[in-house]
Amino acid sequence: MFHVFNHSLFKSLLFMGSGAVLNATGARDMEHLGGLIHRMPVTALAFLAGCIAISALPPFNGFVSEWLTFQAILVSPQLAEWIPRLLVPAVGATLACSAALAAACFVKAFGISFLGRPRSSAAATARETDRWSLAAMLALALLCLLAGILPGFVIDALAPVTQMTVGAHLAPQASQPWLRIVPIDPARSVYNGLLVFTMIAVAAATTALTVRRVASHALRRAPAWDCGFPEPSPATQYTAGSFAQPILRVFGSVVFRAREHLAMPRPGERGAARLGVELHDTLWEVFYQPLAAAVDALAERLNRLQFLTIRNYLTLVFSALVLLLVVVAAT
Amino acid sequence: MTPASWLTQIAQALAVLALAPLLTGVSRALRARLLRRRGPALLQPYRDLLKLVRKEVVVADSASWLFRAAPYLVFASTWVAAALVPTFATGLAWSAAADLIVIVALLGTARFLLALAGLDVGTSFGGLGSSREMLFASLAEPAMLMAVFTLSLLAGSTQLSSISEFLVSAAVGPNISLALALVALIIVALAENARIPVDNPATHLELTMVHEAMVLEYSGRHLALIEAAAALKLLLYLSLIACVFLPWGTAVAGAGPEWYALGLLAWLAKLALLAFALALFETAIAKMRVFRVPEFLGVALMLGLLATILLFVSRVPQ
Repeated sequence: MFHVFNHSLFKSLLFMGSGAVLNATGARDMEHLGGLIHRMPVTALAFLAGCIAISALPPFNGFVSEWLTFQAILVSPQLAEWIPRLLVPAVGATLACSAALAAACFVKAFGISFLGRPRSSAAATARETDRWSLAAMLALALLCLLAGILPGFVIDALAPVTQMTVGAHLAPQASQPWLRIVPIDPARSVYNGLLVFTMIAVAAATTALTVRRVASHALRRAPAWDCGFPEPSPATQYTAGSFAQPILRVFGSVVFRAREHLAMPRPGERGAARLGVELHDTLWEVFYQPLAAAVDALAERLNRLQFLTIRNYLTLVFSALVLLLVVVAAT
Repeated sequence: MTPASWLTQIAQALAVLALAPLLTGVSRALRARLLRRRGPALLQPYRDLLKLVRKEVVVADSASWLFRAAPYLVFASTWVAAALVPTFATGLAWSAAADLIVIVALLGTARFLLALAGLDVGTSFGGLGSSREMLFASLAEPAMLMAVFTLSLLAGSTQLSSISEFLVSAAVGPNISLALALVALIIVALAENARIPVDNPATHLELTMVHEAMVLEYSGRHLALIEAAAALKLLLYLSLIACVFLPWGTAVAGAGPEWYALGLLAWLAKLALLAFALALFETAIAKMRVFRVPEFLGVALMLGLLATILLFVSRVPQ
């Protein structure tokens, strides 16, 4: 339930962020974006918060609900039935995999659209969105952070809802010392979002201060080094497609039956080389398409019923009536 | 949270920070010796860090604030994660706030930010590094979590202090799940620290590089922070393996000062042992192709899952 609530926060935030980008650049394809962090700094900040939250990373809220789910998985060997006991570890592994893949996905989404150098003139001249949209996005980002730092209050507020849906809820968390959350037993597992956030903040501040005191302050702006390639064009950057390519090759070759086609022009020809990627949605092809085909075939058969004579219709009505009477009599 | 636990916690945070570069130095020197080279001095990583800190920083024109903020945040989250692993004593103040899953997730945050920083400048090398790092992470992180699940199911807690105290008690005999989790954890540790079969920490210009490509644009104090974070991460993983699988000698909360001294010595001995094992392994094996690495990590994931499922099946419902 907490996870659903969190999703309502960061999903809205991310959709608003992408809406702002779409509005500013008119581009929906990530391959035409890039470098937006310079042109739209506030949107970038809010979008970054949403990305970290959805990737289930501390100290944001996505992590807290994932952590609670893991805790629930870890008590499930106490379940009496066999099938859930065998399914639960698989669910845990799937959840862990999907969290890690979500992180990869959002590194790609944020990195390609907001970081790097602009890949089109629309991205290079983008303008920050209006003040109200920014305020809404920043408010959602702040809520994501607050729900991650002080999860106890959210859990308590959601307790009546879980009571209604599954008939149970966690013990009240607000009475716990130090604003920590304790799902089952303090000896078993405790998470304190506030303390984790404070630790990171204190560690970062100490580091920054020490470095400031000890280290050299000199800073020089220079062209990117890139191992000695001078002034590369923005087209040489990693694109969304190239970022995802290894992951696609590892995971996608079975699930999505991804195939890469490379069409190279023969030596001497001046045509461009093309690299195409072919993807299949297995679920769509194996499940939905046969279903749709069956419905189609059935409709084709039934279509003939529309062109019968009045005698045939009367027979049909009569037999339907007899059938119904038999059913009623039988029950 | 007692004052003693806070004292232990702060001592521990400073100890990991002070010893992390030494561990890197020791593992490099051991490796050099095994290759019949003389190798760098043990204290060389400290000198490197000091030199980097004093140097001027060169930032690319196209870099944003994220590029400059990332090293501090990466270092901070790695440091916090490393301070959470009981090294010479259990009963740390912060273990009442964060468990093993939090440690994994903090490392995830650090990696997320570093991968973003790799994409920030907009060069092909940075993107290459980030892309591959996230590929490896997408398998290493679940594998690590599965190993964590195994330990927590055995010990009935996700807190590292409790797990360590449980494993040192006589209640656990040799356990097949534990062995599988150990193998999974070692594979993850090798991959996450960019050690040899996965990546080579000593190379700088090679097309197979992952971590080094991602931080290619960093220099000066920023690079020093990233190197220090990498050293901390190595220390974290070795301490974690030591704390869980070699839990003997660690001082428990409330023990006398002589036990803390003993715990410190035991920790140093364990680290030296593991650093030697690492060096031995690294000299004995060749680096893999990038697309072989997911198979290597997939083995870790499967072993972790197998260990968890065995525990689920073998436990009698209460």
